[in-house]
Formats: sequence, structure tokens, C-alpha cells
Amino acid sequence: MPSKRLDQARPFLTLIIVVVAWLVLPVVVKTFTRAGFFELQAPLNVAASYARDLQEYWSLRLHTNDELIEASRDLARLNAQYEVAAQQNAGLQSEIERLEALLKLPAYAEYRSEHARVVRRDFSGWWQRIVIRKGRNYGIPVGAPVIFSGGVVGRVTEVYAYTSVVELISNPGVRLAGVIEGETQPISYQGGINPSFANARGVIEFVPLNVFANAAAPKRLVTSGLGGVFPPGLSIGTVVKVEPSTDGLFKTGEVELDPRLGSLTEVTVLVPLNPE
Amino acid sequence: MATSDTNLADRSGSLLETHKSYQPRVIFFYFVIFALLATLVIGLAHEQLFNTARHLDSERMQNQRRILVPGPRGNIYDREGRLLVGNRPRFAVVLYLDELKSEFINEARIIRRNYAEAGDKDLPTRDQFNQIARVSVVQRYLDQVNGILQRTSTVDRVDLKKHFDRQLLLPYTLIDDLEPNDYAKLVERLPVKSPLQLYASSTRFYPYGSAAAHTLGYVGVETDIDVEDFPGEDLKTFKMKGTIGRDGLEKVFDSRLQGEAGGTIFRVSPAGYKINPPLEKRLPVQGRNLVTSLDIDLQRVAEEAIDDQTGAAVAIDVKTGEILVLASKPDYNLSDFSPRLTHAAAADIEARQAWTNHAISAAYPPGSTFKIITSIAALRSGAINPDDPIVDCEGTLRKYNHNFVCENGLVHHGEILLRDAIAESCDIYFYTAAWLTSVEKLAAEGKRFHLNEKTGIELPNETSRMVVPDPEWKMRTRDESWVPGDTAHMGIGQGDVLVTPLQMACFVASFARGETYTHPTLLHQADRPAQHSAPIGLKPEQMQAIIDGMEGCVTHGTAAKTLALASEKIPGGIRIAGKTGTAQVPGRKNVAWFICFAPIENPEIAMAVAVEGDTPNEAYQGGIYAVPVASAVLRKYFDKKAHPSAFVQPIKPE
Repeated sequence: MPSKRLDQARPFLTLIIVVVAWLVLPVVVKTFTRAGFFELQAPLNVAASYARDLQEYWSLRLHTNDELIEASRDLARLNAQYEVAAQQNAGLQSEIERLEALLKLPAYAEYRSEHARVVRRDFSGWWQRIVIRKGRNYGIPVGAPVIFSGGVVGRVTEVYAYTSVVELISNPGVRLAGVIEGETQPISYQGGINPSFANARGVIEFVPLNVFANAAAPKRLVTSGLGGVFPPGLSIGTVVKVEPSTDGLFKTGEVELDPRLGSLTEVTVLVPLNPE
Repeated sequence: MATSDTNLADRSGSLLETHKSYQPRVIFFYFVIFALLATLVIGLAHEQLFNTARHLDSERMQNQRRILVPGPRGNIYDREGRLLVGNRPRFAVVLYLDELKSEFINEARIIRRNYAEAGDKDLPTRDQFNQIARVSVVQRYLDQVNGILQRTSTVDRVDLKKHFDRQLLLPYTLIDDLEPNDYAKLVERLPVKSPLQLYASSTRFYPYGSAAAHTLGYVGVETDIDVEDFPGEDLKTFKMKGTIGRDGLEKVFDSRLQGEAGGTIFRVSPAGYKINPPLEKRLPVQGRNLVTSLDIDLQRVAEEAIDDQTGAAVAIDVKTGEILVLASKPDYNLSDFSPRLTHAAAADIEARQAWTNHAISAAYPPGSTFKIITSIAALRSGAINPDDPIVDCEGTLRKYNHNFVCENGLVHHGEILLRDAIAESCDIYFYTAAWLTSVEKLAAEGKRFHLNEKTGIELPNETSRMVVPDPEWKMRTRDESWVPGDTAHMGIGQGDVLVTPLQMACFVASFARGETYTHPTLLHQADRPAQHSAPIGLKPEQMQAIIDGMEGCVTHGTAAKTLALASEKIPGGIRIAGKTGTAQVPGRKNVAWFICFAPIENPEIAMAVAVEGDTPNEAYQGGIYAVPVASAVLRKYFDKKAHPSAFVQPIKPE
């Protein structure tokens, strides 16, 4: 009879032993185990993402030739526009460099671009992050800024052999120094508490009192470039609300982020060429 | 055998345990135990039933802490809504020591082990181990900041110990007053969930630097901040430093500008570490704003015009009494007071004697500007008539066994009328007018214009040394009799008469309205009604004679040389009435005066300027030194009126 009871309690005992063992394990072992688990999981995620790519490829193959011709025309037009924009940017860039040299301003940090596919998205109320298909094999460092065509995506927080984890700017754990477009005073941006499947938002603090914005007259929030992590002028989001804080010193506000953040398939990691 | 059996029975009986129902000794102990138990029960009941509140209170006192944070001060604006004094954010990187409890313990353990391994026999005490551990941990965090900001700051051990022992719940400031770039770097690079955080407080911000420094005043550190209707007054309270007005409007309107302090009550562990979340929390609220009557454009023009001289200029709205300009030089840069005045800056202000607000705290003889009062007194008493010459000015007058000199008589004024006597500032005329009027009536006239009392402006340190002398005053203060020479000197604003520039500005404003009293104010109200007081009591032709004389002073008299040039630039041919004065103080620096109002037809602005000479006994004439200051202010005033769109600013809501 007692042995039967013991048999019944065995799963619970095992669970307790495992939990206690995990608690008493040294931190190094735990970190190694976690990383090992992620590395073990990574090929599966990467394989799944390749399968998705293949799926997309075949779904595209199903389009008619007319549709493809129309799409390639659109692409050609877009390319032409980008070509003009690139020329303008080059002109502006050289003007900026001339002025920087004239004013003896330090040049902003330079970056190497690494384009990477998104292999997994992980959105919850607690954290919002994506896993990308490049890691140490492409020299991606922890802390590198990640961007897409709409602006800032986030920062690399974990780097593995073939994958990296990027914390999105919608995550409360991400904070960066932004400026309201046209202003100079840096303000603090931080991701908000965002429920799953909702439009992501962030919060801004230490906003100067002379800044006014609302949903009808929003203002663009861009990176300041002063923090040394993100280059200046990248779009963070749109300031849709600012209100005075009770201390009368600053305003606080809400920033609406690009809804495409939730459906990213391709991002660019900016790898600093001369890390400090 | 029977005997032996009996003995055996007795013995065996004595070996049996027997119980008696009555044992006095045991019962005594029962009582003792019962008494002790009863004492305990009663004591427990007493403590639980009657002293519960006290125990709860002491428990609360022991494990709760209150933190008070001052509210930012209200802003100060000029009459057109331009910010004169605001709040500037001041960023610091701080470390929340109360979140580092386990790190301190671990560090102390490691240090102790290292000592043991090194075989060091001269071991520090437990407290010393803890202190070393704290410094080591805090320096580690500071090194994180150093790495980001490329600095080499180190922890101040004494300061850290003091903070740990006395203010553990308050954040410990590692680096104060960060530059925007440093702040941006830390925002981006410090982990969000770290004991290292950015902390924003406010410090006073002065967009115009030294402009209106004496009027606006400055603030000092206040450690005794309080919060109304916030619980926990009896708790151990930690207070962040606040500010208190020390001078100027900051001092007078301190209660209005002072923000409402906020507060937080935390439960703490036995070691004093904070337990989140707080039990009570109230955010601080900014103080109320103040809209002053100053016009910063005019104020800056006045200060630039006085330049590096010592003196003051006051401009006042004739109708409302609102002060437009209250300039005093030398002054100090208010930005030097933020966040705190250094010893070097204080010593510099002291050396330049720049603490004094010459507009309200310096009393000067009014010189010939007092002749307007002499004229009023003489006309009201009937001693003179505007159209009758009362004397033939030959440069000197021999009377009462004294020679009385006309200081402005480079050419003999001859038989001169009141208008010209004012325009040319003929001393001989006014000696005679004063004698004809009598000292009592002169003094009464000065007092009727309130020149013997403070104006009551909303500023601290207004002097009470102003004097309108009379025989009774002289006897009382000096035990001397009044002599005719005193009357003569009083008639031209010399001798013992002492006034402040603000008083003279109020006097001119009153005179411009044809009244006797103007209450000055530094607060602006868009719909402030016009002031009214007792009329001067002159006939229109008498009043006109004085005004003609004052206009003559500007157009061809003692003020003509400099003001005429300025008048050409004043739009619309504005007519100005003015009077110069040169107060001679034997053995001391002379004072150049100019009082005026404009336009004559419908007075809007009145001014008084007093500029000290820089060399004792040097002729420091009002027409040369004080007139340009008034001229610059008037030009700006009428320029602004002529081109309102170029200057009008939206007034911020209070």
C-alpha cells in the first residue's frame, strides 16, 4: 500500500527535485543551458522560416504573367523614385559633411548594413521581439540598432551562432533618445505596455513645454543621434498626444508606432564599424 | 515475631506514597503561579485592548518612511507675456542605493574573504567592511556611467556614508547637471531596469540674464519643505531640497510662486530598504505664475543706457501706476545663482557693490528736480505768480549774510519768469521762491506728494531713509535750529532732502495726472483701472506754466542738448516735459537726475533717472548723464507704440 502511494507521488517528487536542482544550479550553468536550448531550437526556426519562404515563393508563382508584369512596372517606378531620392540624399549628405567640417562637428558613427530575414515573431504583453536569421556568423553584436524602411525596429539583445533576438521599440525594455522633428532638445522614448494584436504605442518623457501635438496635428519623432547607438533622423513614430506633467517641468506623451512593426519580414541591422 | 511483623507493617506503610488533600506549601505555589499568570494575562489584555493603537502607531513609525519632493516654482512673465524667470530642467544620473542591498552584502562577503585569503591580521571592523563594500559597488555603477560619458569620476566616500546613513531612501546623485548630449547617451545606453536612473529636477532659468535682476530677485536653498494635507507627519521624513525666494519678487511673492510639494510614503525593511509599491503617493504641482508690469524691452534699453555707471531708472505707467522699468546698476547675472551662487561670484557682486537696488534702496538729494515741488508750493501759497519775475538773477545773491550762487548761471538769467526758471533751472529764482513760500509750506508740499514715506512697492528692502526736512525735524535729529540757508537749499532740492528714484517717478506720474499720489505696482493687470488721488490744486494757468517750463527744459533748456537729438527719432513729434537735476553732496559723488513724462497732451509714461558720478565733487549734470537714459527708454516706448505688430507677444495664461 505505501509503495503504491509513493509511486503515485513520484511525478510530483521528480518535478520538485528538478525545480530545486534548477534553483540551486550555478548561474553559468543556467545561462549555458538556456543558450544551448536556443541554439538547439534555432535550426528548427530557421528551417521553418525557409519553408515559409518556399511557401511564399510558390504562392507568388501562382500569379498570372499580367500581374507579374504590372508588379515589375510598379517596382520600376518605385526604383526610379528611389534613384532620385538617393541622388538628393547624396547631395544633402555632402552638404552636411561640408557643414560638419566647417563647424568642426564630430561625424556620426558609421555603420555596415546587414539585411536579415525575420524567422520568428514573439509578441506578448510582456515582451515584443523578433528573431532574425543572422547571428555571430555575420558579426552582429549585441546592442546593434535594427531598422526597416519605416524607421527604427529595435535593438539586438541576444546573439547566437546563426540567429539574433531583436527587442522591438514597442517593448517597455527599450529606451532611446529621440527628438521631435524640427526641435533640438533630446527627449526620452520608451516602449509601452502593448497588448497582443493591438497597435503598438510608446511613451515619451521629458518633452519640452513648448511642444504641442495631438491626433489631429501629430508630430514625427525621430532618433536624435546623440545617444551614440542610433544614427540621427530615423523615424521612431508619430507623437499623437502630449500633456503637461504635474510637476510643470515637462510634458509626457504617447507615440504611435508603425503598424508594419507587427508584420516585418526583412530588417537591416546596422553594425557599427568602429564600436566604442 | 508479632513485634517484628508490626515493625515491618509500619515500615512498609511508610514506603507507600500517600496524598493529602491539603498541602499548604503547594497551594502557596499555586497562588504564586496563578498570580504570575494573571499578571501576564492582564498585561496582555491591557496591551492588546488598551495599547493597541499605540503599538500600531509605533510599528508604523518604525517601518514607514515619508519622502517629500518640492513642486517647481511658478514662472514670472513681463507684461507682454515674455518669460523672465522660468524653470530649467536639471538632469542628474542617480543611484537608488536601497535597491542594492544584496549587492552590498555579497560585496562585503567577497571583500572579507579576500582579506582572509590574504592572511591580513589587521582586519577592518564589520562596519568598515560594509562601507568598503558600498563604495566598491557604487564605484562600479559610476564606472558604467564613466564609460558611457568618457569621464573619470570617483565616489566621495564621506558623502556616500552620509547619504547612506541619513537618506537611504533618496536617490544618491552620481553626476549632476548633465549636458543634453550626456543625457541622451545615458537614456539610450543605461538599462531600463537598473538602479542607475536619470533624475530630473528643476532649477531657475533666466532667459535675459541680468535684466531686472534686482526686481526679479533670486532664490536660495530651502531644506524645510512641507506638504499640506499629506499623511504621515509623525513619520521619519526625508526631504528633497526646495527653493525659497531670497530677494525681489521671488521673495515677496514666494508663497504664490512656491509649488505644492509632493510626497510618497514607503514601507521599509528593518534595514531601512524600501519596499514597493508605495503606500501613499502625491505628485508635486508647479506654483502659480506671476505676470509683472515690467516691459523687458524697455528694461533692457534702460540698463544698456546706464551701462557701467551706478544709478537707477524707473518708468511708470502714468494712468495705472504699473512700473514699466525698474533698472538698477551695477547689477548681477541671475544665471550665476542657478543652481547655486559660488563664493567667487558672490565676492564679485560684493566688490562691485551690486547688491543694492538703487531704484528703491538708495536715497539721494533730488537736486533741481525738486524745483517742481517748490514751484507748486510757491504757486499754491500765492508767493509767486507765473507771469511776475520775483528776482533779477545775476549769478549770485547776497542775502542773510551769505552768498547764494546760481549753479546753472553760466550766463546771468536776469529778470526771469517761472517757465524760464524751470527750463534754465535758475537757482536764484528758486532760493527766492522758497523764502517767499516758507519752509513749512515747502515741507508740507513734499509730504503731500508722499515723498517722506515708502512707496509700498512689492519689493523688499525699500529704504526708509527718505527725508523731507523741516525745522522740527532738524531740531529733533540734529538739535539745531533751521536757518534761511536751509530753506534756500531745500528749494533747489539740496541740503537734507532725500528721495529714491522710485519716489520721484511716482511724483512725476502724479504731477502728470494733476494729482498728488501714485501707488506703484509691479503686477500687471490688463484691465487695471486708472489711479486717482487728491488733485494738486493749481489753477490751469499755473499748471500750464510749470509744464511749459518742463517742456522748455527739454526743447531749449538744461536737457535740450541730448534729448533734442533723441526727440527727432521719437515718432509722431511726441512732446516731452522734463526737469534735470544735479544733486551735489559735499565730499561725495554727485548725482545726475532727470524726471519727465510724455506725451504732454495725454501723459502715458513718467520717468525718473538718477546716475551717480564716479568722482567726488565732480560736476555730474543730469542733462548730460541722466537724460540719455530717459531718452533711450522713451524712444523705445514710442517706437513700440508706432510699430505694435513688431513687438506684441501673446500673454501667457497665469
